Amino acid sequence: MAAKSTNSESVLFDIFLYAFMISVGIVTVYPFLNVLAISFNQAMDTVRGGIYLWPRIFTLDNYKEIFIYNNLIVAFKNSVLRTVLGTLLGVFSAAMVAYVLSRKDFIARKQISFVFVLTLYFSGGIIPVYMLIRDLHLMNTFWVYILPGLVNAWNIFVIRSYIDGLPISLQESAKIDGANDLAIFFRIILPLCKPVLATIALFIAVGQWNSWFDTFLYNSNSDDLTTLQYELMKILANTTAGASSADMARSGNPELTTRVSPESIRASITIVATLPILVVYPFLQKYFVQGLTLGAVKS
Amino acid sequence: MAMENGTALPNTTPKRRKSKWSVALEQKYLFFMSVPFVIWIIIFNYIPVWGWTMAFQKFRPGLSFREQTWVGFDNFVALFSEPHFYLVLRNTLAMSIMSLVVGYTVPVLFAILLNELRHMAFKRTMQTISYLPHFVSWVVVAGLITKMLSTDGGIVNQLLIAIHAIDKPIQFMAHGEWFWGIVTMSDLWKEMGWNSIIYLAAISGIDPELYDAAKVDGAGRFKRIWHITLPGIRPTIMVMMILSIGWLTSIGFEKQFLLGNSIVQDYSEVLDLYVLNYGIKMGRFSFGTAVGIVNSIVSIMLLLISNRVFKRWTNESVI
Amino acid sequence: MGNAKTWAAVTLAAALIGLTGCTNANKNEGASVATTSGDDKKPITITMFSEDLNSNYENMQSPVGKKITELTGVTLKIDYPVGDPKQKIALMAASGEYPDLIFAKNDSNLIVNAGGFIDLAPLIDKYGPNIKKLYGDYLNRLRWSKDNPAIYFLGTYGVNEKQWEPKDGFMLQHQVVKELNYPKLKNLQDFENAIKTFKEKHPTINGQPTIGLTLIAEDWRIAQSVTNPAVFSTGGSDDGEWYIDDKTQKPVFHYTRPEEKEYFKWLNHMYATGLMDPESFTQKYDQYKAKIASGRVLGLIDSRWQYQEPEQALKQAGKPELTYGIYPIMLNDSLKNRNFQDAGYSAGWGIGISKSAKDPVRIIKFLDWLCSDEAQILNNWGIEGVNYKVENGKRVVTDMDLRNSDPQYGKKTGIGVYGYPFPQYGNGVKDSSGQTYTIKSEQQIMDAYTAPEKDVLSHYNAKMWQDLFPKASEFPVKPWGAAWQINIPSDTEGAVIFQKLEDIVRKRIPEMIIKSPDNFDALWDQFQREMDQAGVHKLEGQFDQLLKQRIELWNNK
Repeated sequence: MAAKSTNSESVLFDIFLYAFMISVGIVTVYPFLNVLAISFNQAMDTVRGGIYLWPRIFTLDNYKEIFIYNNLIVAFKNSVLRTVLGTLLGVFSAAMVAYVLSRKDFIARKQISFVFVLTLYFSGGIIPVYMLIRDLHLMNTFWVYILPGLVNAWNIFVIRSYIDGLPISLQESAKIDGANDLAIFFRIILPLCKPVLATIALFIAVGQWNSWFDTFLYNSNSDDLTTLQYELMKILANTTAGASSADMARSGNPELTTRVSPESIRASITIVATLPILVVYPFLQKYFVQGLTLGAVKS
Repeated sequence: MAMENGTALPNTTPKRRKSKWSVALEQKYLFFMSVPFVIWIIIFNYIPVWGWTMAFQKFRPGLSFREQTWVGFDNFVALFSEPHFYLVLRNTLAMSIMSLVVGYTVPVLFAILLNELRHMAFKRTMQTISYLPHFVSWVVVAGLITKMLSTDGGIVNQLLIAIHAIDKPIQFMAHGEWFWGIVTMSDLWKEMGWNSIIYLAAISGIDPELYDAAKVDGAGRFKRIWHITLPGIRPTIMVMMILSIGWLTSIGFEKQFLLGNSIVQDYSEVLDLYVLNYGIKMGRFSFGTAVGIVNSIVSIMLLLISNRVFKRWTNESVI
Repeated sequence: MGNAKTWAAVTLAAALIGLTGCTNANKNEGASVATTSGDDKKPITITMFSEDLNSNYENMQSPVGKKITELTGVTLKIDYPVGDPKQKIALMAASGEYPDLIFAKNDSNLIVNAGGFIDLAPLIDKYGPNIKKLYGDYLNRLRWSKDNPAIYFLGTYGVNEKQWEPKDGFMLQHQVVKELNYPKLKNLQDFENAIKTFKEKHPTINGQPTIGLTLIAEDWRIAQSVTNPAVFSTGGSDDGEWYIDDKTQKPVFHYTRPEEKEYFKWLNHMYATGLMDPESFTQKYDQYKAKIASGRVLGLIDSRWQYQEPEQALKQAGKPELTYGIYPIMLNDSLKNRNFQDAGYSAGWGIGISKSAKDPVRIIKFLDWLCSDEAQILNNWGIEGVNYKVENGKRVVTDMDLRNSDPQYGKKTGIGVYGYPFPQYGNGVKDSSGQTYTIKSEQQIMDAYTAPEKDVLSHYNAKMWQDLFPKASEFPVKPWGAAWQINIPSDTEGAVIFQKLEDIVRKRIPEMIIKSPDNFDALWDQFQREMDQAGVHKLEGQFDQLLKQRIELWNNK
């Protein structure tokens, strides 16, 4: 009897659940579809407003406007490289520290946690950081994309909290087998942490992929170190240049006023920048949506 | 400073130290695995803190450290004697507490609900769709929201009129007291899916055998959620909570700035925008740094307090 | 005495050699000013940071760009900001590492204070005949201050530019004035009546409700559409937040003027009567543009460039009668619109050589070359035989169609790319052959007018919109240039007061306009009190000093 009532309760729950999810889906997919439609709509027509899910006057001009810039290939390569390298190193280092800090028996646990967590709440400011980067001779190098942000406290604590949720007995049994801490980390913790590592990888990758400010600050003089987002931001700044500030407006220089509307370019840039993420996403997604079978690891 | 406790301290009392020393030796791998990163973070995050000296100077770029004029606590006095600062602080705290309550619990719930979906393709699609708005910039989202709430053909007003809830369009964006709610809801719309990913990952780490066992015991879905899912992601929930409380005073300014307008400015201006307008934009680097220091001190205090409270109540903590 | 003079000359020479480092270019300077010597064409890369993006910049790969490299040996490498340029400038100043050339707009003072610019005055004296010719007497306006007469940068705006079109004003759709049979449009009442009458007759346009007047107040745009017009319609000239009387030369924070109370009261009245769009203070710029492009907004109060995009959209949609005419509407008939008042040369922004530049002499020679007739014509007209030809000693553009139709024209040809922010002659300035340096002309503007536009103009007995406005000759030239270019030093109290006043204005002005007219007087008084408390009079005192210094510096030959 009990089983039956749970069952009908469950069906009801499912109906509500699917209805809820579909409505959430409609609401959250809208902004992106809207951007997509605008990116394919003629710029001058977009000014009139009223574009929702489908372009009114179809055009590829908003994309052509982006792809006339010839250094996009170099920029794309650099962005891919920094994303791949930055993600691998970032995930690895965060996981390592997280494991150490998850060990309740570790004698420096509290102190080291403290050193890391504080960094989330202060910053020396842009000027001293700039001077540091300069003094370390990282200006105009690729490494400025990887090294300064390599160790991130937030990632460490997210991974640590995940490890905290794992059954400790796994580690203990390994210890009895005589494995040292390094081996436990590689053989047991890393495989078990796949879902959270995939999540952190996603966060780092998106962060790396989207960042442009470091290129602007440190590498804007090196054409071969430019990144995709920086180039896209430049294109966007280009189109908004004519109307980007009151000062600018006063100069009233017709050469600088816009030819394509900023809204349209912003839309096509959003799509160009997001597409690679969407392509890669399913490979990471499977780790945290499907879950993993602990049994496989245990044996 | 904190490291010293962990690493060797050679010339201290032998007996007690020796045991600690031997434990440390036993844990040498743990030190190898963490100390390099500690040094790393000291270089890139702690060394630049010398920049805080700017707050006590009348800093002018281009002059050497010795050439700067020292002004003591003038910049701090200027900040605290400014009535506008308190208004801005009120707005910041109001919006960040609202976003802590809503923008924090909803993603957890959403992740749990997603996990209850059994149709895998649907689950993956829903999850992908839900995080998409994260990649749409605030400029665009703010534009969409203003249009939806417009009195000139905005969908919300049209809907409300259609169901006869109102007979004249409402100017949603012209009511200061509604602004905080609008910001919170917009933020939820944009970031719910993205923020739920972390909890989804935490749920994936739960041993599936637990669910199977519960099913055998005849536990219903709500029971399973309550007794297995929630406890399973508890450490993640708590740690995220503690870290977020530390950020109460630093919520950025982009969304408030883009959604705001001159009529609601008394409710929309936040600390980070204030620093930008009265600091960097005016070339007042010292003042900006002073606000930054105050912000950091408040953040760290909030962090330590919440860490202690959570440790006592829930036994979860970051430090 | 003579001895001291020689000594000074030697010091100066030594300083110059110190600055120029190892160059030997300055040895043969006598011969090489106008025509560059072979030595001066040695390839050199000059790095530059410009706060303004030029979307047409083509890495000097266009025909004009290549020509410049061919003629001078110079390759420019220009870096543009993407984020906040001020940060980049501050970092340059803090680290002491600069590109060779910097165009820093309002942030130039950060670099000057950090000692980042070199004084160009002695270099111009020696190597800058074309620079001297281009700026003429205005060269004095480039000087930094009375105490420090150095020249840190070459002014950016076109020198002696002629203004042919009004920049700001009150706009009415051509269909409105036509239907009302071209009524008198002089004061606010006329403007209001036109909107009111038309709106009553046509409550909807294309099925959507007619909007009488809409304003845009998003962020800084509030100045263009809401606050600046208060000065303009009460007889003030564009001096930013200042009103400066011709005779007394006393700067007043313009919102304190009683005339403006009348103006804002009128806006309040427009709002209360529903003639003004209720969303004027909450809408975003793209909503504003969309409304205009829908053709149902009868009137605007704005700067012209702000509604260029939707006007273009209307023209493209074949509805030129829904675009706007621009009228000098005043608070009352006794006031005169000063849109065309001459500010002389505004030298507040410009391009300077940094102390990191290895070869300043070579760079100043390059800048001097850019000021030459050869370079000015190359940049504006293009390459002879390709973009223009010479007939009977007159330059004639041969690719006008392309110029007008190809949006990539500038990028492809390089024409116009090496103008702003580099020194340039303004529109309408003529070279020794009597032709203008730029190709723009009044005829060109008139040719671009649409049929309804021409029709409306003819009914007001005008050929161009400027004919409706009082002429520049009716007003004195402003001896201080444009007051909005006068920087209030950021480390003074005045800078903070100014920012606070801006905040108050942005909050209180919209508030008093949307509240009931019964409250207007009380809100205005409260607004005045708030400005008082923020220190408006203290700021006026400080600005008075700055203005005096500026007038003295610029008019003291």
